[in-house]
Amino acid sequence: MDKQKKFDLRGFIAKYGVILGLAIIMIFFTIMKTKFLTMENMLNMLRQTSINGLLAVGMTFVVLTGGIDLSVGSIVGASGMFAALVARSVTGVPWYLAICVGLLVGLLLGLINGIIIAYLRVPAFIATLGMLSIARGVTFMASNAQPVPGLSPGFLKVGGGNLGIIPIPILVLTAVLIVSYTVLYKTRYGRYVFATGGNPISARVSGINVRQITCSVYMVSGVLAGLAGVILTSRVTSGLAAGGEKYEVDAIAAAVIGGNSLSGGRGRLWGTIVGFLIMGAMNNGLDMMAVSSYWQLVIKGIIIIGAVMLDSLNEIKA
Amino acid sequence: MKKRLLCMVLCVGLVLSMMCGCGLADNSAPKEQTQPAKAEGDSEKTTGESEEEKIKIGITLYSLKNEFTVRIANAAEVKANELGIELVVYDGNYDPSTQISQVETMISDGCDGIILNPQDAQACAPCVDKAVEAGIPVVGVNTRVESDKLTSYVGSQDVLAGEMEMQKIADLLDGKGNIVIIEGPMGQSAQIERKEGIQNILEKYPDIKVLAEKTANWSRSEGMTVMENWLQAFDEIDAVVAENDEMALGAREAIKASGKDIPAIGVDGITDALAAVEEGNLIASIFQDGAGQGSKAVEVLYDVIKGKDVDENYWIDFEEVIKDNVDEFKKRAQ
Repeated sequence: MDKQKKFDLRGFIAKYGVILGLAIIMIFFTIMKTKFLTMENMLNMLRQTSINGLLAVGMTFVVLTGGIDLSVGSIVGASGMFAALVARSVTGVPWYLAICVGLLVGLLLGLINGIIIAYLRVPAFIATLGMLSIARGVTFMASNAQPVPGLSPGFLKVGGGNLGIIPIPILVLTAVLIVSYTVLYKTRYGRYVFATGGNPISARVSGINVRQITCSVYMVSGVLAGLAGVILTSRVTSGLAAGGEKYEVDAIAAAVIGGNSLSGGRGRLWGTIVGFLIMGAMNNGLDMMAVSSYWQLVIKGIIIIGAVMLDSLNEIKA
Repeated sequence: MKKRLLCMVLCVGLVLSMMCGCGLADNSAPKEQTQPAKAEGDSEKTTGESEEEKIKIGITLYSLKNEFTVRIANAAEVKANELGIELVVYDGNYDPSTQISQVETMISDGCDGIILNPQDAQACAPCVDKAVEAGIPVVGVNTRVESDKLTSYVGSQDVLAGEMEMQKIADLLDGKGNIVIIEGPMGQSAQIERKEGIQNILEKYPDIKVLAEKTANWSRSEGMTVMENWLQAFDEIDAVVAENDEMALGAREAIKASGKDIPAIGVDGITDALAAVEEGNLIASIFQDGAGQGSKAVEVLYDVIKGKDVDENYWIDFEEVIKDNVDEFKKRAQ
């Protein structure tokens, strides 16, 4: 048996290990490539990671309730596509309305997910797997599998523009993080989310409307995916039918690396932030080191497994 | 439990050190040597004068997961070695957003030039904008991009490829029959232009009917699936026109499995296609000199960096491969 120590090293590492991991990774890449830690590269890295960051935040809400959202990649594609269709210069629609369309599509798809999962009792894995297909199909239908170029300049600023030297996607992500943090930790709603994931039965018995909470987190995930879709479309200056494909993998990875338990109730938003920063740093750093994309996939998987193993140390305490 | 933690830390350390030692990088050796020579934040864009610093260029291909683009990449690497410059190769994963990120990385990595093989003609335009804004010249290769800021383009006339393959089929059918068309990824210049070529020839033959057309995204397995469905849907298909070899080969698999024998034609001249033409599985393939494109693109970019004038376009011919001349192509293809 372990001796009882004043400072619980193991617990500390289990809890904060991810930050250590992030630090090690950053130091490693800086040593390998001095250009890694420059302002320009860091801004690049943050900009590239902001889409995944938005999805990861939404995924955190979902995972905290013990659910999962496999459809976020397709929702990114669908909302991006509809936003693009509206944002074309020929329609004359102002850019902010086009953005609203994107957000609404995401919200709607998220709502459908939420209803199917919370009220029709379909398991989240299955329901969102179905939505993954459905949303993608709708996206192809709406665009006839053709890309949608010719977007208005105002709309293009969202994903491609800067405020000063800071790219707009980074600002959007920061704003979303601040709001999400406040909601999760400073409101009653946030507490209900944690409670629902931790023990849905106790939650219900204590008067929390578990179904409503469950439904709502998918709406959050959906609208954030919608926002991500708008940014993606704006960045590539064209609505892409295949946009967002496979993005859900990275979103789940970020949440999991950050120490959010997939069974719900246990997790932390700052963990998710560290999670997507780790993934962003890995992508960016390995690219700078010209590591082949095949190895990058292998490494990504190893990190995910490693992070979960680290996190499991939290649970095994006697 | 402590042991487990220690074990994990050691494992991660092991993997990381393996990565450095094994030379997983596409070109690790030269890079490690030039590291000390580079100062942080130096601008290599203005000069090729300092002979101590190697010229560095980057190439992003829309994918490295198919034979044709790998040919381009390999030829580019060979040429880069020949010229004594450093080349970093990126796999765009069929995602324009990834390619934009890769170009951003190349910019902050201090590349002197960039070769772009875009997944989508429109969506990858920001790649060129960003590079040019940073003062880095961009040479396009193999697929086109909607940008007038491109310094030069090295490729083959895809419209011609479409015309060549459609004409071959039209001749085979004597100007009359039912065909199906399998397309590349919608929005990629090769798909757009080869389709245009096919359409140009079809206009001359009103008795050739197109039963169906669909994209199979350059993929053999998708081509097979699409063909299987069409075999079920249509009684009488006389020929298959596929915009590339992979899809043509996939279609032939489906055709063989159904017990029929419908002629098919593709573009690129990949190894399997050459073998197929030889054994009569494909009636022909329109060979695309990917290696030539990759090599030329590096050459052109090198000239640009050295301050020489270059043409706007460098066209490399498509060539028809039939049973009679297969051997010649087998020797040429890498």
